[in-house]
Amino acid sequence: MRRSLGALPLAVLWGGPVVLALPFLILPALDGEAWQLLLAHPQLAPGLALSLATGAAATLLALAASLLLLAGLHGSGARRSFEAASAAGLALPHLAFAIGAGFLIMPSGLLARIFVGGGEPPSWISVQDPWGLSLTLGLALKEIPFLTTAAFATLKRGEHAGALEAQCRAARSLGHGPGSAFLRVVLPQLLRQLRWPILAVFTYGATVVDMALVLGPTQPPTMSVVIWHALNDAEPAQNRMGLVGALLLTAALALAAGAAAAMLAALRRPLRRFLTGGPSALGLPRRQAMSLGLALAAVFALSVVMLLMLSVAPRWPYPALLPPGFSGAAWETLAASPNPLWLSLGLGLATSTSAIVIAILWFETQPPARDRWVVGLALASLALPQLALAAGQYRLLLGLHLSGTLAGLFLAHLTPAAAYVVLVLSGPYRGFDMRYMAAARALSASSLRAWLSVKAPLLKAPLLTAGAIGFAVSMAQFVPAQLVAAGRHSTVPMEAVTLSAGGSRPLTAAFALALAAPPLAAFLLAALLGKPRWR
Amino acid sequence: MPFAITRRSLLGLIGLAPFRTAARAEGAWQAIMKEARGQAVYFNAWAGSPQVNGYIAWAADVLKARHGITLIHVKLADTAEAVRRVREEVRAASPGSADLIWINGENFRAMKQEKLLFGPFAETLPNFALVDTAGKPTTRIDFAEPTEGLESPWGMAQLTFFGDGARLGAPPLSMPALLGFARDNPGRCSYPAPPDFHGTTFVKQVLAETIREPSLLRLSIGKAEFADAAKPLFDFLDALHPHLWREGRQFPLSQAQLTQMLADGEVEVGITFNPNEPANLVAAGTLPRTTIAWQHAGGTIGNTHFLAIPVNARAKAAAQVAADFLLSPEAQARKADLAIWGDPTVLDLAKLTAEERALFGSGDAPGAVRHPAPAIPEPHGSWVSLIEAAWLERYGA
Repeated sequence: MRRSLGALPLAVLWGGPVVLALPFLILPALDGEAWQLLLAHPQLAPGLALSLATGAAATLLALAASLLLLAGLHGSGARRSFEAASAAGLALPHLAFAIGAGFLIMPSGLLARIFVGGGEPPSWISVQDPWGLSLTLGLALKEIPFLTTAAFATLKRGEHAGALEAQCRAARSLGHGPGSAFLRVVLPQLLRQLRWPILAVFTYGATVVDMALVLGPTQPPTMSVVIWHALNDAEPAQNRMGLVGALLLTAALALAAGAAAAMLAALRRPLRRFLTGGPSALGLPRRQAMSLGLALAAVFALSVVMLLMLSVAPRWPYPALLPPGFSGAAWETLAASPNPLWLSLGLGLATSTSAIVIAILWFETQPPARDRWVVGLALASLALPQLALAAGQYRLLLGLHLSGTLAGLFLAHLTPAAAYVVLVLSGPYRGFDMRYMAAARALSASSLRAWLSVKAPLLKAPLLTAGAIGFAVSMAQFVPAQLVAAGRHSTVPMEAVTLSAGGSRPLTAAFALALAAPPLAAFLLAALLGKPRWR
Repeated sequence: MPFAITRRSLLGLIGLAPFRTAARAEGAWQAIMKEARGQAVYFNAWAGSPQVNGYIAWAADVLKARHGITLIHVKLADTAEAVRRVREEVRAASPGSADLIWINGENFRAMKQEKLLFGPFAETLPNFALVDTAGKPTTRIDFAEPTEGLESPWGMAQLTFFGDGARLGAPPLSMPALLGFARDNPGRCSYPAPPDFHGTTFVKQVLAETIREPSLLRLSIGKAEFADAAKPLFDFLDALHPHLWREGRQFPLSQAQLTQMLADGEVEVGITFNPNEPANLVAAGTLPRTTIAWQHAGGTIGNTHFLAIPVNARAKAAAQVAADFLLSPEAQARKADLAIWGDPTVLDLAKLTAEERALFGSGDAPGAVRHPAPAIPEPHGSWVSLIEAAWLERYGA
């Protein structure tokens, strides 16, 4: 009885709205005419290939860079400052990063102005290149902070950190160098706990729209952009084609992820041989990690500086190194409507807290074997292109007369926030060494007391990080929120998207920075409060 | 009701019928005004321009003060959002969330065909009598779709080009001239990729300037005839594309991106549907004061944008009062002011009193169109999907 009660909040508040939205997706899947339209679309095959290739390449690049950073910073003093930097990078919205970094590398961008000059911009094919290279690079750079933050949350977990350190010491005493110990002891455990965040990065990268619009190729564009155009069309036939396109893309993603998992399984034996090999005197790539970390920090910092400049420069023609004039009009527009900010902050706090609570209730009451259902659901809700899932959920809430209400808005924000919280939390929570709890109970503490005084402090870092990620995700919600709000409520992203629909770069830049500020505060707070207290 | 018929024929006989209908209309409008007081109008309107948003905020203040109506601007990034929302609400029999929508073109056609619109209401609005329906036929025909009183005209649009006069010298005033300009300045021109609205309009403009039989444009067209009729169009694009930005293999995704590229100096020519947008961008500091705007000498594609009331609107009376106010000489003159918004009026200035006419200033700011060209009506709707599909087929992948 208690068991099912523990699963109830998650099932009702999060699982229900997701699962019940799915039938609205299945019906259009049977639409033969929509499939015909889609299969005849000349951009289908190249767009699909681009989406999968950019998503996969960006994931691999981000993963490789993150692992290099983690290895190089393992046990180093620079780790703490890199953690804070990661949090800052994570808080910057994708679109903001794309605009800022895009302005660095585009033909009329800052680099061309500094290094080329002349009356006309060079004919560089940098942003929107037909091969999707700038999109891949932008995605990879932007996902590194997410992967490293998730990894740090795992490594910092109170009891786990101690065990890992002991294992590393043991490996060192067996003659392994620090690099070899990281590779053979830390990395396998880390990757295991990072598998869902990695998959989330892949699905996000292969379905992203806003970044693809700024940095991605245009003829053909990625499939997500084709779908986005179709779903936004006034013609219902085009909308239906967009919906089946979204389903096809999801199926392709599942297939690709399945293939990757099968490949890893086949590699298990040779991997095991490698893991049990050694000892080797391999060192840690400290210098490489430091230079990569500094380069990353420089790119992010420059992007933010670009955004700040663009937000006050109504005009900045090539080849001027500074805008010819400054104007605060964009910031004034932003300050003129404070209500969306309060609504966004309120929703962010409410959804991230609720997400943490329902996730804890689930993990505490359900056997680990059932996790695959919630993790699967979380992945599905993130992998299904937002527009499709949001459309289904909107119809559901409309039928319940919840559209245009704050309750409906809360549920729509909880869907993605809880999905991320579940994914980020499942690894650390399930990896918790239950002997600590057994010891506490043996000292005759009640289960609540044992949880509060033993488990919660040990899991503090991952809980806070998950909360901050949930808050950031909620703050950034646009598509589902826009549908469910039905024009009766407005949040910061809604204001940002609608006001910058005219393409005003100062306004877009100002809103992007404003959107980054609250999550930045949340991440810094999580990093600060998540410090293990015995250090 | 034999008595009523008798009475009506009697009144008709003595020539009072017109007077009586006018009186009845007057009475009906008074009733609508009375009902409207205290209602809230959720006005769903594209919000991508601070100038437009500022104008709507002004209208909201006036409506509140004079008619006791609360106008709430529901900010949209894309009007299709509102169309889809109304469609879903009507299907779910849920109360409506929109009372007034800024609309035209395919969004209007979709809502009209699916019977999602309230009305006819537009042509019984008191201020509709002032609309220039003869001189601006697009005020009653929206992209070849008769409005049938289901939407009230609000403003005029016409395809316009712009660039920096200090760099361009004499602007290209026709498609062949644009081709010559692109040839002399390789990589310095582009247009948004269809099905972006502005991109499709650019291609329609090429079609209108190259087609051998212009009368075909007003008719419904089939696939087979299209291939033949559109051959000069695609011959022209084939000739133009190698000289465009990125050799015509990549295109900007939107008009906004093209405008940004112009402002950054990546291209020389921008495209807009609001003839006064360049002047407005100069005023906002986005474009230099040397900016010029022009229309092709033989005319450019033009249309009208409208206000419509969804069939499930909760405040239909107040929505009509708001639409009528936005059609008034006072509101139209303010909208046409280059310093406010610069959206050309739908009214016939000859029908206004001298006092009302004086509200409309002369448009002579930097960036304004110096020599306006005639408006070419949009081709029949059947052309659009064929153009977009053929363009995608040839240049999309």
